[in-house]
Amino acid sequence: MGGCALKEATTNPLARSWRDIPQNVKPRAMSREGRRRVKLRALRIAAAAGVIGLAGWGAWEVTAALRSQGGLPGAAGGAAPVRELSLSTDGVLDKAWLARTLALPPDASLMDLDLEGLRARLLASGQARSAAIVRKFPSTLAVSLSERSPVARLAAPGAGPGDPALLVARDGVSYQGTGYDPAMTGSLPWLVGESAPGPGGRPAPIPGMGTVAELLSRAQLEAGPIYRSWKSIDVSRLETDGEIVALTRDGLRETFGAQEDFYRQLAKLDLLLDAAAGKPGEVIRDINLSLGGQVSVALAPVPAPVPGAAPGPASVSGNPPSAPSPAPVLQFHIN
Amino acid sequence: MSSSHTFIGAVEIGTSKVSVLVGQHTGRELAIIGRGECPASGVIKGTVVDYKAASDCTHAAVEQAERDAGERIDFVFLAQTGSHLEGFYNEASASVKAADNMIDRDDIRTVCELAMSKELPAGRVVVRHLRRPFRVDGRLVPTSPENLVGQRLEVGYWTVHGQEQRLADNMHVIRGFNLEVRELVLSSLASGHMVTTPEERQHGVLVLDIGAGTTDYVLYRDGAPHTTGVLAIGGTHLTNDLGVGLRLTHSQAEKLKLRFGRALPHTRDKAEKVWLDGNYSIGDRQFPRHTIEQVTSARFWELLEVVRRKLGNAFSPETCPGGVVLTGGTAKLPGAAECAGKIFGIPAHLGETPAWIAQDLRDPGYHTALGLLYYGINSHAERAPSGRRRAGFLGSIGRLFSST
Repeated sequence: MGGCALKEATTNPLARSWRDIPQNVKPRAMSREGRRRVKLRALRIAAAAGVIGLAGWGAWEVTAALRSQGGLPGAAGGAAPVRELSLSTDGVLDKAWLARTLALPPDASLMDLDLEGLRARLLASGQARSAAIVRKFPSTLAVSLSERSPVARLAAPGAGPGDPALLVARDGVSYQGTGYDPAMTGSLPWLVGESAPGPGGRPAPIPGMGTVAELLSRAQLEAGPIYRSWKSIDVSRLETDGEIVALTRDGLRETFGAQEDFYRQLAKLDLLLDAAAGKPGEVIRDINLSLGGQVSVALAPVPAPVPGAAPGPASVSGNPPSAPSPAPVLQFHIN
Repeated sequence: MSSSHTFIGAVEIGTSKVSVLVGQHTGRELAIIGRGECPASGVIKGTVVDYKAASDCTHAAVEQAERDAGERIDFVFLAQTGSHLEGFYNEASASVKAADNMIDRDDIRTVCELAMSKELPAGRVVVRHLRRPFRVDGRLVPTSPENLVGQRLEVGYWTVHGQEQRLADNMHVIRGFNLEVRELVLSSLASGHMVTTPEERQHGVLVLDIGAGTTDYVLYRDGAPHTTGVLAIGGTHLTNDLGVGLRLTHSQAEKLKLRFGRALPHTRDKAEKVWLDGNYSIGDRQFPRHTIEQVTSARFWELLEVVRRKLGNAFSPETCPGGVVLTGGTAKLPGAAECAGKIFGIPAHLGETPAWIAQDLRDPGYHTALGLLYYGINSHAERAPSGRRRAGFLGSIGRLFSST
């Protein structure tokens, strides 16, 4: 048990210590209490891992929410210039429009951008109903848009025949439409009886446009030929009398009651037009569907017959037109 | 209880009983808050021979201690004894590297690694390296030699090593309760730390921890353990001798030993007899008291003689002015100190714990467990000075994962 050695400059690796002995034992070598403790410890570890996971997830969610609101500046992206614009929209606007509208300086960095100002620019066009702008580091500005859909056209004040029209959305906002198919915008009825905003003014919502849009969409869905025949929609009496007047390309005035069910009114109109189509001699000039159960139909005045001339509605040039007979007004009860 | 406290279990798996103390450590203070005790089984001479029996009694004692404390033990300091433990001395020297001969940390680390780098036989592992004081150019340095000036730095280690399988058996008994053994402390060091003062250790003192199955001893010099050892002889041998000599069962012999045994013969009247039970029941017998004392004293004398021989040149009365301190259950034998004084030629006395230890923990049977806590904490802190316990929620989580 003893022995003495003096050594210098040579080092053997340290001998194994009792700490190198593995302490773990198999569960069958443990007592019942020991096994219970192992299970309890495993449960505690799982619970701790769960708590940590939840805390991490919560922190991530909070950070993401703050970032999406632009409230949390990203420290790492302070000087990164914007290299890419990404656009996600439910309409027709494209990246070119986005770039034109935002008009970002060429060397603008993500952190230099005023997101609220950019958002206001996007909304100022009127076509974008809502906009969300997010910095995506390192160098992407992500824009998410929700666009308005046009339901009618509106002539800009002082516009000539070739000038582009304003478009009116369901919520009454009028705007210069961009990116729409011209055939689609050309098929929209004109809105008359409302004044369009001036060139520099912010588009003000047209009152009662929701009702008009409801009539238009109902007609487009349920009575396509009738909708396609409409040239313009007059809303000048909407607020006062609750009437919407549609003027067809044939000159027929169709008056709808804003308080009545549009589906029933369209059905009555369709029935009357079908009935009139079977009587070529009677030309309808005005149909008023806003009278509840009654429908007032005014026929076009029948021209006086000219001796020796062929019968027909057109007058013959050179001959003074004879005085037309007064237009008859018929009252129908259609249920 | 606050989560910043550590609850340490001091476990001594002895031959006759398992003792467990629970200490509440706050980083600065240690309070004993629970204890448990259970008769040992499956353990012979400090070695586990029946894993299940040893586990059952140890776990019962741990549970009892935890109930008493009202807290769960975080980790364990385990006392280690057994005749498989051996020690050797190895020293090394190194030249101081700096041009100005000022010793720095690298010099100290180099010489320490040299002194500890001794190969062991297969199947043996180091239990503890006990460093003896440094020497600078032959001059004794009781503390750190850092920043002292000298050309040659020397240090020696008393390395205690044991059989890996037996150490593993002991640790697995604790692990079977899903507790980790953080420190393995020699029983002799634990009890020696408790029953001696720093001053005694500085001057030189010999501590004998005489248990039921083993006798652990440690010789202190210059404030540090100089030599340690374990003998596979203890109080059980005295009982066996009585049983064989007087033809008694083990329990009867144990009873006689506790009542009439002595480390030195005291009775002059050879005709004096004592009753086995003293209640006049059937089978109760009389035995010569002188004979009982002769049998126990002969074995006790022999036990101390063996210790003296094992110490060899390491011990001399001149280098051990602190005397001999006896502890352990068998040291309570009347005349033990007197016997030790005669054999070692220096004063001997029974070890006593410091006055601030509670009265019910002053029994020699608890000296090892108490020493385990105090010595183990110091040793643990020395080994991991930066391992301060973290408090709070994150600390709890860290402990949870580290414990896996």
